[in-house]
Amino acid sequence: MKYNSVTIAIGALLLLIFATLLFMFQVRTTEVAVVTTFGRPTRTISAAGAYMKWPWPIQKVHKVDQRVHNFESFEQVLTSDGFNLLLSVYVGWNISDPKLFFPRFGGSESRAQTSLEGLLRDAYTGVVGRHPFVHFVSTDEKQLQFTNIENEMLQRIKSHAETNNYGIQIKFLGIKKIQLPESVTKLVFERMQSERKVLVSRIESEGESEAASIRSAADLESQKLLAEAEAAATGIRGLGDLEAAKSYEVFKQEPALANFLLQLAGLENFLKDRATLVLDLDTAPLNLLKDPSIRMQK
Amino acid sequence: MERKRNGVINLLVLLAAGVCTFAVARYANSLSAHVAVAFFALGLLAAVVNWFQMGLEERERLEKLEFDELTRAGGSATLFEGGDSETLPARRSREQFEKVFVPGFSVLLLILQGVGAWWLWEWVRTGVSNVHNTMIAISLFGIFALVLFLVGKYATNLARLQKERLLRPSAGYLLLCAYVLAAVIGALVAWEAGVASIDKYVALAFCALLGLLAVENLLTLLLEIYRPRVKAKVDRVLYESRLVGLLGQPEGLVTTMAHALDYQFGFKVSDTGFYRFLEKYFARLMVAQLAILALSTCFVFISAGEEALVERFGKPVANGKVLGPGFHVKLPWPIDRVYRERTQEIRQFNIGYTHDEKDTHDNKGPVLWTVEHYKNEFNLLVASRENMDTNLVAGKKSPPVSLLSVSIPVQYQITNLHAWTYTHGDPAKLLEQIGTRETVRHLVSADFQEVMSSRRFDAGEELRQRIQEEANRQNLGVKILFLGLQDIHPPVGVAAAYESVAGARQTYQAKLLAAQAHKVKTNALAVAEAQRRRRVAEGDRQRVQAVAIARAGNFTNQIPAYKASPAVYQMRGYLGTLAREGRNARKIVVTATNAQDVFMLNLEEKLGSGLLNQPLPPN
Repeated sequence: MKYNSVTIAIGALLLLIFATLLFMFQVRTTEVAVVTTFGRPTRTISAAGAYMKWPWPIQKVHKVDQRVHNFESFEQVLTSDGFNLLLSVYVGWNISDPKLFFPRFGGSESRAQTSLEGLLRDAYTGVVGRHPFVHFVSTDEKQLQFTNIENEMLQRIKSHAETNNYGIQIKFLGIKKIQLPESVTKLVFERMQSERKVLVSRIESEGESEAASIRSAADLESQKLLAEAEAAATGIRGLGDLEAAKSYEVFKQEPALANFLLQLAGLENFLKDRATLVLDLDTAPLNLLKDPSIRMQK
Repeated sequence: MERKRNGVINLLVLLAAGVCTFAVARYANSLSAHVAVAFFALGLLAAVVNWFQMGLEERERLEKLEFDELTRAGGSATLFEGGDSETLPARRSREQFEKVFVPGFSVLLLILQGVGAWWLWEWVRTGVSNVHNTMIAISLFGIFALVLFLVGKYATNLARLQKERLLRPSAGYLLLCAYVLAAVIGALVAWEAGVASIDKYVALAFCALLGLLAVENLLTLLLEIYRPRVKAKVDRVLYESRLVGLLGQPEGLVTTMAHALDYQFGFKVSDTGFYRFLEKYFARLMVAQLAILALSTCFVFISAGEEALVERFGKPVANGKVLGPGFHVKLPWPIDRVYRERTQEIRQFNIGYTHDEKDTHDNKGPVLWTVEHYKNEFNLLVASRENMDTNLVAGKKSPPVSLLSVSIPVQYQITNLHAWTYTHGDPAKLLEQIGTRETVRHLVSADFQEVMSSRRFDAGEELRQRIQEEANRQNLGVKILFLGLQDIHPPVGVAAAYESVAGARQTYQAKLLAAQAHKVKTNALAVAEAQRRRRVAEGDRQRVQAVAIARAGNFTNQIPAYKASPAVYQMRGYLGTLAREGRNARKIVVTATNAQDVFMLNLEEKLGSGLLNQPLPPN
């Protein structure tokens, strides 16, 4: 009997626990809860704590995260000057009015996000289409409108969400990525390569040009030096001749001898190298061969 | 009649509990609860067949009573002269049912168990456990389990006391389903406590159990073929699972173990005080165990590097005071709940690529522009101040921008757990988005060359500050510790072209150096040559002077000799010179006096003597 009473007590305790769980629910700080009675929203709770309710299916609690959610959208868009861009935009939102949010999205954050994605795509395709490419990418800060474009998108999606009473507040928006489509990326790669080729040619040509200039300057300098040296050498030689001419005064004493000696010196020089002399018998001393006295002695 | 009513109760309870369990399983989206429905379906099938079989046996019993009464009344024997099949059709029907339908049903059960186990295993393996409305599911499953347990216990005891073999299969399934739901509740509690994977593991365990039931059923069917049939003995119901009975009545397992112990030790172990104590207080011990388990949730140990927030009924305790490392006490779960975070840990996200565990620079050699650093790199647009005249590519005007591959690791630390936990649904993702946004914002206004070279360090610090400011503005509660711009480079596709520019600069330098070398050499040689020429000229000058002076001096000396005999002097000089200087000259003397003759003299140089000119040796 005692055993049965313990068993019954344990059973009752378990039943009590399970029943309590059916009648109670908790709401976290991060959550907001909407209690529906037979499907009709009757209570909204945004303060954290423990609350009572009628058990399911009379009352049902729908909890949603009231923290800021963020999602991204990545789409190909066209700028006003016809550039194709792949734009990734992220948006932060939270539930500002659970009573409005719940009936519109059935308490589903993913459904809300799907709706917001539609708004976002509409916003950024519209806004991007009003701006030229240079507003997105430019070294000139005056031309760059990056932050303004983000603000335009934010205002547009905000106004949509408020006008349609989504019960959602758009907290922030940012352009996460700007990329080019694959086909355009290839063209940019080609252009970058062409730029580099031009640069390579320019650098190499400049090198050749400068090198040629250095070489020609060096050659010129060299020629100049040699010419100057040649001129100096000629002067020196002339000076030598001038000095030598002073010594020639003595030849005036006996010009015939001087001439003879010059001829003799010339002959010496003439015979220095290999020479063939064709001599007849009139040439001294061969003329002796014609002398009869010598012939007779012979 | 009462027996049949009990069968109907089992059937209806299994049907109702099965339908409700399926509905709650769908509502809570629990994998284990979905698989648990399979046991209800099997139990329901067994209960239906049970109920039908009971009806047949009831009919047979009534028929037998009627037959016995008529026999005792001495009615015409001719009325029952036919065979058993004619006189006792209900018995015949029951026998035919047991002979044909029951084995067929067992085979059907085997197929359902086998196919169900395989299909559910695959479904669970590929499925994702995403439970919601956990508390409602726990409470409802708890109530279902209690009802199933009570009805199952009652049916089991009734079957044991009244020796009702046909009640046993459905009663076994009732208890098994109660325990299965208890396991599902355990999985959901674990889910609520943060151990999400338990739900999937429990579901897989159910699939394995279903497979075991199929194996047991197959063995039973095989053994049934060779089982000796004894007429007087009441057969066990073919589709009754011993495994289900064992799992549904674990105390039977304990009794069997006790008997085994008695046999092993040679005395009644089951009569000892300890065993009796265990047997008597087993349930209370289990409850005490659960109580200790609940009590253990009052103690919190926060590890080094961790911080935690405690929520009481969902509200942060003590205005969101953060628990540091050490021992703490709290109210039991689910009143107080703890949310831990490794706040001291240095976390990292990456901009410009998606990190893959396989992407590691270990043992990869040098990091080159021409080789992808990571699998999932993407290119970012960057402005360029360079002349855009080269933008015409393949007849199309490409954008006045360049592309950069960036791989930027950003390290951060959580400094405010409250802000990190309560402000944003996914703060880590938002931080990564902010980081990427600020990087893109910086690059679209920065010059390509500057980013790649002189502005790299400044850009890194500037980016870090911008991300920090935006993170503060969004109240993320983090501190950006480090942002590395070490991996900014031209995309792999154009990296080679960029390297060729560096090569061209080297070529440029090499050409200049070669020209400089030429200049140095040419100048030096020219200086030397000029000097040489000057010196040669100087030598010439001195020689001319010296020779002139010498000749003048010599001339003065020669005059007296000349004057003494000019002709002799001249002849002497002439002949002396001819003899001295003409010593080596070839001399050809023409002695003929006939002036009209023509002499042909070959004055050509002879070639050097060769082999052909050598005189032959005399014989």
